[in-house]
Amino acid sequence: MRTKRAWFAFPYVVWMALFVVIPIVIMAVYAFTVTDPITNAAYATVENFTGMGVYLSVFLRSFWLALLATLVCLLIGYPVSYWMAKEGPRFQRVAMALIMLPMWMNFLLRTYSWMSILENNGLLNQLFQNIGVIDLHNSIGAWFTDLCNSIAIRFAEDPEKFIPTVYHPIRYFQLIGTPGAVVLGMVYNYLPFMILPIYSVIVKLDGSLVEAARDLGADGARVFSKVIFPLSLPGILSGVTMVFVPAVSTFAISQLLGGGTQMMLGDLIEAQFLGGAYDPHLGAAISMVMMVIVVVCMVVMNHFGEGEEQAVML
Amino acid sequence: MKRKNRIGSRLFIGLTFLFLYLPIFLLIIFSFNAGESSAVWQGFSLDWYVSLFQNRLIMESLYTTLLVSLLATAISTVAGTFAAIGLYSLGKRKRDALLVVNDIPMMNADIVTGVSLCLFFVAFFQGWGSFARWFNGVQSAIELPERLVLGFGTMLLAHIAFNIPYVILNVAPKLRQMDKNLVDAAQDLGCTWMQAFWKVILPEIKPGIVSGALIAFTMSIDDFVISYFTAGSSTSTLAMRIYSMTKKRITPEVNAVSTLLFLSVLVLLVANNVREVRQERRAASQEIREPSFFEKLSMRFSQPSFNWVRRGLTGAMACAFIVVVVLLTGATASQPVVNVCSWGEYIDESLITQFEDMTGIRVNYQTAESNEALYSLLKSGGADYDVIVPSDYMISQLIEEGMLEELDYSQIPNFELIDQRFRNLPYDQSNKYTVPYAWGTLGLIYNAAMVDGELDSWGALYDEEYAGQVLLINNSRDALGAALIHLGYSVNTTDEAEIRAAFDLIADASRRGVFQGKVMDQVFQKMEGGNAAVASYYAGDYLSMLENQADGVDLRYVIPKEGANWFVDAMCVLKDAPHYDDAMKWINFMASTDANLANMDYIGYASPNTQALEAYPAYYEELYGEELDPELYEIMAAPSHVLERCEMYTVLPAATRKLYNDLWIELGA
Repeated sequence: MRTKRAWFAFPYVVWMALFVVIPIVIMAVYAFTVTDPITNAAYATVENFTGMGVYLSVFLRSFWLALLATLVCLLIGYPVSYWMAKEGPRFQRVAMALIMLPMWMNFLLRTYSWMSILENNGLLNQLFQNIGVIDLHNSIGAWFTDLCNSIAIRFAEDPEKFIPTVYHPIRYFQLIGTPGAVVLGMVYNYLPFMILPIYSVIVKLDGSLVEAARDLGADGARVFSKVIFPLSLPGILSGVTMVFVPAVSTFAISQLLGGGTQMMLGDLIEAQFLGGAYDPHLGAAISMVMMVIVVVCMVVMNHFGEGEEQAVML
Repeated sequence: MKRKNRIGSRLFIGLTFLFLYLPIFLLIIFSFNAGESSAVWQGFSLDWYVSLFQNRLIMESLYTTLLVSLLATAISTVAGTFAAIGLYSLGKRKRDALLVVNDIPMMNADIVTGVSLCLFFVAFFQGWGSFARWFNGVQSAIELPERLVLGFGTMLLAHIAFNIPYVILNVAPKLRQMDKNLVDAAQDLGCTWMQAFWKVILPEIKPGIVSGALIAFTMSIDDFVISYFTAGSSTSTLAMRIYSMTKKRITPEVNAVSTLLFLSVLVLLVANNVREVRQERRAASQEIREPSFFEKLSMRFSQPSFNWVRRGLTGAMACAFIVVVVLLTGATASQPVVNVCSWGEYIDESLITQFEDMTGIRVNYQTAESNEALYSLLKSGGADYDVIVPSDYMISQLIEEGMLEELDYSQIPNFELIDQRFRNLPYDQSNKYTVPYAWGTLGLIYNAAMVDGELDSWGALYDEEYAGQVLLINNSRDALGAALIHLGYSVNTTDEAEIRAAFDLIADASRRGVFQGKVMDQVFQKMEGGNAAVASYYAGDYLSMLENQADGVDLRYVIPKEGANWFVDAMCVLKDAPHYDDAMKWINFMASTDANLANMDYIGYASPNTQALEAYPAYYEELYGEELDPELYEIMAAPSHVLERCEMYTVLPAATRKLYNDLWIELGA
């Protein structure tokens, strides 16, 4: 069998070359060339990369927001997975179903659902209005401004000319179009990607290890920190990558919930191809950088994860 | 103590689920809303479900989504299985090297895969084009198509490309577990290899194949980014349709389609769960508990060798397949088509049906977000349009770059109806390429209920007083244009210092948090709902907003004292348009007085058709039984003394365009 059926791999090799390797090579070619706008001739250059400094803030924002989202996902996802694994099988099954279910709805739909909640006249602001949070905010603001004014007027050199600060009451809280809204959208969409790997590692943990630790005198906290947590590291690592990679490259979430003001790497790439600033060379260069970053992340993660993974296999 | 813990943990899990489900439930609730708002409840109705099934665009995209997912799943499952068998027949070293390549599409961010495939297809099409021209030149027996564009085929290839690795990932471990001697034994006993495959290999690796197919299907149906980059303009999946809808007006039809999707998945899952519980009870007597579907599914995320429960999902696949077949038979057979690309909210859609009924030509109507986005689409090879409706300055640029085809005016008798004012304009001086579609001004729109007094200056756009309530128009030309006018410069200046000054004005306002966001057609919902106070947008759209404004919102339109921009959008045909003659018919139809009247009424933009312009007030009166407010008519069709204060864009030189682009990106950054 070994030699006879090896030709089965041949079409696959051709396919991979065509649809995986060559596209990346073409992308690299684009990244290292520029088309002259006047003569339309292409020439090789690295200026796509050297000129990327302008977008440093986009890179930083993407990483910052994606890291934040990953962290929040971990902080919510780990306890959920941990406690879920302790429940009975039926509870676990229903809970898993509930976590997977939103994943079958398109993520654009899920993001859209937040738009109507976070709008200035949206559901959340209406709620704040109705329970009086906005009025409370306004009266505190007005009171505080008055207080400041009355203190300031005492120290003013010429009280006649003193112009008191005017407090502008707000009608709503600005929720949409903020970095917070983008992080919220990421957490909402990618939380299942954090819960699932962690849960599946914890649920397979060998209970006898925990028992052994207890028998040897470890208390609950010690069992967790010395046994359970280290053993669940592979799940955490794969969860972190599964949240971070799509989060750092998203463009739909930042456009829908960031209102176009929270530009991220994905938006930058999209704008170069299908958006308002046509420059496929720059878009390809940014994609290359992103690919390298993702590969580096993966290698680092794998390096960390290697030892523990074997422990779980045992 | 133990008990207390459990309550705390359950509360935490419960809150997480609330977080996951509350938005979905709100989405579902508002699908039954009588009104169009997704935040204000106006009573129960099923109207949105009715209109969903009548919405051809959404239904077609649903069909495309299911078709591409099922085809990609079927093909990649078969191909991936054989590839995995092939891989395991190779030596370890070769196999490991190939598996690394196999990991690439799974590891990469979707957008990188999408971009690389898009560039690959476009490069291939260019190569193919030159080959086909050469080939058609040297012989005449076979005619090869010279122009290929992104479409369903490329999207399918892309889906297969990212699905195969998942299938291999699932089949490979089963092959590794299989006893290699089994096949040899079977063959020794007289089986052919094929028989051995069916009788020995297949049953052994079947769970891997099934799980691979399911993952492939899930990946395909949930994909947005890769489809977005590889589907081109004429094909839309549901996700792409929703994305383009979020850029203009989202109707609760989207809520309705999500509700239906959610419920169908829910039913499948509940059915599967019930079956599992039953199986479990049966198995309990034998002390064997099959891991549940979700446990198995979850394992995929940490370990490649996971199992899926097959039957429930085979059922789901079968159902989906039946749906596709039904939709397939319902789909239109091959008939003449004309591909049109225009702006959002820029046509009375009944005109499309009217044209289709009249001529039997199907209209594939697409929208682009802005002139710049349209240009990107055309350049990236993703567009398959016949007729486009760009604005003046973009038309000059397209003519300059040789991207437009001359029109055959003998087939467009209605061109005679176009007012002299709108012929031979600077962008197309001898009028060889264009038939004007609509015209108007770009002014300041504000909500009088949210600002003090009347606004009459572009300065309001950069005024800190309206911090967080100003919408910046999301295209460089219009945004910088308004700033240039405000500073007293020409909108067509090529002076870098002037452009930079205009940019600084915007950038400074942006730093001070004046802008709520950069929007194009989202402006409708934001302004109508009172979610923003000030915006710059087109006169015609102001009239639509006025009709839909919510209670307590008082929208006004003004041509600021500094002046404004006026524009003409015109129909043109792209070079090598595949349906040239049908395109002429469409253009002629849209230039007719009846179509112009209907369109004027629907989109609120002034028509360039002399008769329609004159007849509109009477048409309005007849239709609505009340007189047309002359002030509104002046906003729609600006009289000449207003137009004198306005400046039309002309095409900018390449260096200035580059500057615009760079500045625009810098603004976002």
